[in-house]
Amino acid sequence: MAVGKRDISCPPYVKGREIELEDLKEKKVTYVEDHPDIRYSFTAGQAISKFLKGLKEGKILGVKCNKCGRVMVPPREFCELCFKPINEWVELKDTGVVETFSISYIDPDARPLEEPEIVAVIAIDGASPHMGILHKLGEVDPEKVYIGMRVKAVWKPEEEREGAITDIKYWKPIEG
Amino acid sequence: MVFTEKIIDPRELRHVEGKIELYWIYTSGEAGDYFFKKLRDEGKFTAAKCKKCGYIFFPPRIYCEFDFSETEYVEVSGEGCVTAYAVAYYDKNGEKLEKPEIYALIEMDGTNGRIIHLLGEVEPEDVCIGMKVKPVLKPKEEREGKITDILYFKPA
Repeated sequence: MAVGKRDISCPPYVKGREIELEDLKEKKVTYVEDHPDIRYSFTAGQAISKFLKGLKEGKILGVKCNKCGRVMVPPREFCELCFKPINEWVELKDTGVVETFSISYIDPDARPLEEPEIVAVIAIDGASPHMGILHKLGEVDPEKVYIGMRVKAVWKPEEEREGAITDIKYWKPIEG
Repeated sequence: MVFTEKIIDPRELRHVEGKIELYWIYTSGEAGDYFFKKLRDEGKFTAAKCKKCGYIFFPPRIYCEFDFSETEYVEVSGEGCVTAYAVAYYDKNGEKLEKPEIYALIEMDGTNGRIIHLLGEVEPEDVCIGMKVKPVLKPKEEREGKITDILYFKPA
């Protein structure tokens, strides 16, 4: 409401006070409470499900668009540039190049990490340029990482793999 | 290896399960607290009247939203008349209700406010707009200071 010339009088003080935990425990104030049980299931979809199954077998799978010829990873069901359904799978190498990276000193709860983690986007060999996945780097000092560094996947032992992105433990630099 | 060979076994389709933890307490506030305590302890309805313009708020407010003046609590009968209503045949989970529930917007007598609540002791086909209704409260010992202390409104 515009104040303008209207004569507005406000109460000189604000009634009430902060509510303490005791007020709630002893039911000094009235309230309602609820704890809804919200559960969900988030599906990975056709393409990613197959990609994850590939990881379990130690393979990185991509897809190829028959129209523009791009080889894409992570795989998808439709080419977002051609709007065409994709119908060819390709197996890619487990080597690549660091596209970009970041050094993280805190965990998701903002607690300091003992050892900093290096998060990187890795362009996979065999896929089209700049096509890659987000993963971690290991066996390398944060100071020595650079864009364009050649890296190779370090896999979990086959019996420990469960068809998850963590089946690749990290990526390490390729010597030379 | 083409997408015409879709994964049809749902167990083969990967998914992540999640749960969202929520727990909340919503307090009634200064005026709401007064209203619910009066309802719980004395079974009476309260509105709030602006000391300046005389507008009567229901549910009560601690200040007038038109001229920001203080309000004072006034007792009202709790009776009112139906201004709109809807009949629900299904519950919130989509299950068919044994008995349809009638939700009504009730204009409170002696105030400028309204309340949404259930109607009872009346068949859906007998409800009409303008119908006079009065509240039916829970027995005093069962009242908790919540809106459900009013069981429903019945024809007056």
